[in-house]
Amino acid sequence: MTVLPDLLAGLEFSTLPQQLVNGILLGAIYALIALGYTMVYGVLKLINFAHGEVFMLGAYTALFTSWSFGFTQAGNKQDSSPGILILMLIVSMTVCGIVGVLIERFAYRPMRSQPRIASLITAIGISLLLQYGGQLFLPSSPPPSISDKVNPFKGNIEIPLKPADSALLAQAEQLKAKVTRTKAAYDEQLKSEKDSFNLSPVGKELRTASQDAERDYRNAIDKANKDALVITFPQGQVIMLVTTVVLMIILTWLVMKTTAGRAMRAASLDFDAASLMGINVNTVIAFTFFIGSALAGAGAMMNASFLGGTKIDTFFGMLPGVKAFVAAVLGGIGNIPGAVLGGILMGLAETMVIWAGYGNYKDAIAFIVLIVVLLVKPGGLLGSNKVEKV
Amino acid sequence: MNIQFSWKHGLIALAVAAAIGCNGGDSTATTPTVENKGTEATPAAAGRKAPTAEGNKVEGDVIKVGIVGSLTGDQKPWGEDSVEGAKMAVEELNAAGGINGKKVELNTGDSTSKAEGAKTAAEKLISDGVIGIIGEVASGHTIQIAKSAFDKGVPVVAIGATKTDLTQEGTHVSRVCYIDDFQGPVMAKFAYEELGLRKVALMTDNKQPYSQYLSKTFGDKFKALGGTIVKEAFYESGQTQFSGQITELKAETPDGLFLSGYFTEVGPIAQQVRQAGLKDVKLMGGDGWDSPQLLTSGGDAILGSFFCNHYNNKEDRPAVKTFLDAYKKGHAGKEPGTTMAALGYDATKLMLEALKKAKSLDSKSLIEAINETENFAGVSGTITLKGFNGNPPKRALVVEVRPQSEGFQVFRKAYEADEIK
Amino acid sequence: MKFWGVRLASILGAVAFCFLLEGVAQGQSSFVQRLFVLAGLYVTLAVSLNLINGITGQFSIGHAAFYQVGAYTAGFCASRFFAQLNLPPAAWLLLMMITSAITAGLAGLLVGLPSLRLKGDYLAIVTLGFGEIIRIFAQNQEALGGAYGLTVAPKIQYVWAAWLLAILCIAVCRNLLRTAHGLPFLAVREDEIASSAMGVNVTQTKVVAFVLGSMFAGAAGAILAHFESFVSPPMFTMDVSFTIVTMVVLGGTGSITGSVLAAILLFYLPEKMRDFTNIPLSGVAAAFVAISAAVFAIRWVMQNFHGTAKDRAIRYLGIVVGALVIWFISKALLGNVPSLKENIDGSKLRMVVFSVTLVVLMLLRPQGMLGHHEFSWDWVRSKFGKPTVKEATA
Repeated sequence: MTVLPDLLAGLEFSTLPQQLVNGILLGAIYALIALGYTMVYGVLKLINFAHGEVFMLGAYTALFTSWSFGFTQAGNKQDSSPGILILMLIVSMTVCGIVGVLIERFAYRPMRSQPRIASLITAIGISLLLQYGGQLFLPSSPPPSISDKVNPFKGNIEIPLKPADSALLAQAEQLKAKVTRTKAAYDEQLKSEKDSFNLSPVGKELRTASQDAERDYRNAIDKANKDALVITFPQGQVIMLVTTVVLMIILTWLVMKTTAGRAMRAASLDFDAASLMGINVNTVIAFTFFIGSALAGAGAMMNASFLGGTKIDTFFGMLPGVKAFVAAVLGGIGNIPGAVLGGILMGLAETMVIWAGYGNYKDAIAFIVLIVVLLVKPGGLLGSNKVEKV
Repeated sequence: MNIQFSWKHGLIALAVAAAIGCNGGDSTATTPTVENKGTEATPAAAGRKAPTAEGNKVEGDVIKVGIVGSLTGDQKPWGEDSVEGAKMAVEELNAAGGINGKKVELNTGDSTSKAEGAKTAAEKLISDGVIGIIGEVASGHTIQIAKSAFDKGVPVVAIGATKTDLTQEGTHVSRVCYIDDFQGPVMAKFAYEELGLRKVALMTDNKQPYSQYLSKTFGDKFKALGGTIVKEAFYESGQTQFSGQITELKAETPDGLFLSGYFTEVGPIAQQVRQAGLKDVKLMGGDGWDSPQLLTSGGDAILGSFFCNHYNNKEDRPAVKTFLDAYKKGHAGKEPGTTMAALGYDATKLMLEALKKAKSLDSKSLIEAINETENFAGVSGTITLKGFNGNPPKRALVVEVRPQSEGFQVFRKAYEADEIK
Repeated sequence: MKFWGVRLASILGAVAFCFLLEGVAQGQSSFVQRLFVLAGLYVTLAVSLNLINGITGQFSIGHAAFYQVGAYTAGFCASRFFAQLNLPPAAWLLLMMITSAITAGLAGLLVGLPSLRLKGDYLAIVTLGFGEIIRIFAQNQEALGGAYGLTVAPKIQYVWAAWLLAILCIAVCRNLLRTAHGLPFLAVREDEIASSAMGVNVTQTKVVAFVLGSMFAGAAGAILAHFESFVSPPMFTMDVSFTIVTMVVLGGTGSITGSVLAAILLFYLPEKMRDFTNIPLSGVAAAFVAISAAVFAIRWVMQNFHGTAKDRAIRYLGIVVGALVIWFISKALLGNVPSLKENIDGSKLRMVVFSVTLVVLMLLRPQGMLGHHEFSWDWVRSKFGKPTVKEATA
C-alpha cells in the first residue's frame, strides 16, 4: 500500500462531490435488491442465492417489453413516454414477483424441514440453473441492451455548487466571435472541396484556423470553469432515485401499517409461534418473496433502461446480487431500513474506491466489507449483536 | 493430540520460511507480454524461433484445416463472421478441384470468447490432425493458440489479432491484418491533424492485452505529434457502469476520448459519457469497435465517432465487390456485419494458396510456404509476408460511425503502411 | 507383520496404478491425456473439500481459491527460479507441489481462523468472498500476469503426478478418519457444543480441516499450472468452486468414495457431451419439463406411499416411463416454438447439468449417492459371503 500522503496527493478533491452523487445513485439499485434479501432472510433465515437471477430476469423482462413496444435492435419507434416506462416497470415487477413465488414454492418449501445447508445448496443450484439454463434460451451472445430511445429523459440536471469566474467567462465569450468567423470561412471552403478529409492546402489552412480558434475558446471556458464545481445528475437516474424512495415508502407502510405486514413481522420474529397464532405461514412467505422479487425487478428495469447501453446477459445479476447481499448484511440482515442504508453505503464504498484510483479492486471491496462486518459486528449497523451460540 | 500439535508447528515454520523465500526476489516481473521498443510501423524485430516439433501431415484424401473463433460469448459476431469467411474460401477451393485432387475439410473450434477456451480448442484441433490453424480475432486468445501451436509445430494464420508481439511467438505465426504499432499511430495522426485534438483522455480495458497496448501506441504517437494525454482510466471487460471513471476523466476537460477496448463496452461507455455531460468530446477507437452491436448499444451517443478498420464494404475495389457478391449469395443477400468475414476469408485463402505451393503436404513445409507469400490478392488488400516476419504492411481506413441508414461505417480517410513513420 | 505387509502392498499397488494410467495415457492423444490429468485433479479437489464440508461439517464454497493460490505459486516460482535451479522435471514438480501446498495452507489458515465464529450460511458466503478477493487481487498483480494470465515456463505433463496426489489425498483422509485423530472432526460435525463439552478443541479441529483441505487443493493447483503451462483468473471463478461443491454433494458429504466417484462422473459427463453437437433446444426444454414432473412424482411417492419395497419400485419405474413419455410429447409440442428450433452444442450443457443435478439431488436425496457409506474391503468380503473382519474377530 502506498504511503498515506502519497495517496492523498493522488486524489482529485474536485471530483469528490460528483462521485458521492454517483455513489448514491448506484447505491439505490443495491438497496432495492438488498431489500429482497433482507426480507426473505428475516422470515426464512435463508440466503436466497437466486435473488440475483430474479434481478436478471427483471432486466430481460424489461428488454422484451421494450421490444414489444417497438424499441427493437433496429430502433424503429421514435418516441417514448413516461407511460411506457411505467408499464415496463409494472410488468417487470409483476413477472419477477411471480418468478420469486414459484422458486420458493417449488425449490425452497420442500427444503424447509432439512438443515439450512440443504436450502443453501438448493439456492445455489437454482441460481446456476437460471444463469446457464437461461443462457440457452435467452438472447445473450452478444448481450442485447435496451434501446436508448426508451428513455425520454435525456437531459441533465446541473447544480452548480460554485459558479464559474464571471470575468474569465466574459473574456472567453469575446473569443466566440472569432470562432464563428473562422468556421464560416471553413464551411464556405468546404463547399468547393471534394473530400473533407483530403483537403487542398487552402482548405487545410482554413480548417486549422477554425480548429485553433475553437480550441482557444474552449481552453478559455475551461480556465473559467476550473474552480467551478457543478454536479451533474442525469435526469433518468434522478427519476430512478425518486422511484426507489417511493417504493421504499410504500414498502414501509406495507410492513408497518397493514395486517399482511404485521403477519410478516410476526413470522420473522418467531416462525413457529406465528403459525400457532393462526397465521398461514405459507402465504406470508409467498407474499414476502413476491414483494422482495418485485422490488428487484423494479431495480433491474430502471438499471437497464436509465443507465445507457447496459448490456444484459444471464450473468447480469450475479455481481449486483452479491453486493446487495453484502449491503443487507452491512445494514443488519432482517432489518428493512438497514438494507436501504447498507445499499447506499455499498454504492458509496464502490465509488470511493474508484475515486481513490483503485478501480480495479472495486468488486473486491464488497467482499472485504462483508468480512470486516461479519468479524466486527455480525449483526450489522442497525441490527442486533447477538452471536448465535446454540 | 501431541502429534498433531507439533506437526502443525512445523508446518507453520516451514510456511513462514517459504513465504520469505518466495518473496525475496525483486519485484519487477517478467510478464508474458513483450514491451514495445518503438512506435515505427516497421516489421517486428527478427529473432523469432522456429518450432522444432514435427507438426501434422496430411493422411489420406482429406486435407484438414482448423479454425478457432468465438462462436459463443461476447465476441460472437467476430467468431461467426470469420468462420463464414473461412467456409467460403474452402468451398471455393474445393469447387475448383481442391489441392492435387484432395478436398479440404474445415474443422471449427469454439474459443467461447476466452483465452483458455482458445487454447483448448486449438489443442483439440491439432490432436484431430489439422495441418494448420486459422484464427483468432482477439490478440489475447491468439497468443494462446500460437503457444500451443508452437509446441506442436503447426502454423497459425491470425485473422484480426493486431497486437504487435504476437508474431514473436515463433516463425509459425503470421497474420493478414495490420499491427497495433501501426493502428495506434494512425488514429493519433487522425486525431491530431484531421480532428485538431490536443488533449485526449484514454479509457483502457485492463483485461485485454490488445487494449492496453493500443492505448500505449496511440498515446506515444499523440504525444510525439505535440498533443497531451490528460489521463488514462481503466475498466474491465464485463463492466456495465462507468460513471466513476468518466467523472475522473471529465475533470481533466479533454477534447477527445480514445476508447481502445472492444465494442461490447464501447457502446455503454459512449452513452454514459454523453449522459455525464461531455457532449462535445470526440470519441475514437481501434478495430475493436467493428461490430453492428456498436450501434445498438451506443445509440445516438456513438454517432459521429471515428475508428480504425481493415477495409470497408463500400470500397470500389473489384476484390471487395466480388467477395461481397459471393457472400450475399450464400447468406440470403446480407452483407457481413464485421470485417472479420473478409479477413477470415483472406487468412484461409492465404493458407490454402501457400499449401498449394508447399513442398509437401505437412505442417513444416506449410510454415515455410506461408512465410514466402508475396503479393497475395486479398479482399482486405495485398498481403506480402516474405521478409516481414509475419506482419504484412497493410493500409488502415478510418471510418465514421453513422446510423444504419447511412451505411454504419462511412469511409473517411485511408492511411498507407508507409505513411506512418 | 501382516500390518506392514498389507500397507506396503497397498502403496506399491497405488504407485503401480498411477504408472499404469500413465502408460495408458501416453498412447492416447494429448486431448485425452488432459482428461486423465484433470480427472485426477478434480478427485483431489473433491476429496479435500469433502474433508472440510462433509467430514467436519463446515460449509466452504470457495475452494477454487486455494486451487488458484497453489497454481499461481507454482507459476510464479517457475517463472523466477526454475532456470536457476535446473532440477529434473519430476523433482521440480514435487518441489512445486510442496511449496504450493504450503502457501495454500497458509491461505486456508487465513480463511479458516476468522470464519470460525460463523455458522452455516454466513461461513459459506465468507468463503465464497475470500475466493473472489483472492481472484481479484491475483488479477491485478502484474507480477502474476494481471488479468490476462501467467505463462508457466516448464511444461510438465505427468499423468501419474495428478493421480498420485489423488491417492495420497484419499489415503490421508481415510486414515485420518480411521484413527483417533479423525474422531474430533466427526464430533464437530455432529454437535459442536457437545464435542466442546467433551474436551474437543473445536477451533483447532476446524482450522486443521481447512488447512489440510486447502493444502491438497494447492498441490493440485501446482500440477494444473505446469500441465497447462498457463494460469489465468477466469480459470478459477466461482463456477469452479460450485463444480467441486456439486461433486461433493453428489457423492455424499462425508463419503470419500462418493466424492471420488462423483468427481470422475461429473468430470467425464460434460466432456462426453462435447461430442454431441446439434442438440435441439426443444429437446432440452422438454427435458426440463419431464425432469420436473418426474421429481414431483418421485417426491410424492417418497412421502405418501407406504406399501412394500417392491410396489414402491414399480411406482418408480412407472414414473420413469411416464417421464420419457412426457419428454417425447413436450419435445414435439415445443418444437413448434420458433425460438426453440435451434440446435446447440453439447458443451454448453455442462453447467446446466451440474445445476440440475444439484437441485434434483437436494429435492430427492440430500445425502448424495453414497451418504455416509464408504467403500471398504469389508464390504467386498461381505458380498462374497466371506466373514468380515468384525465377524472374524468377534
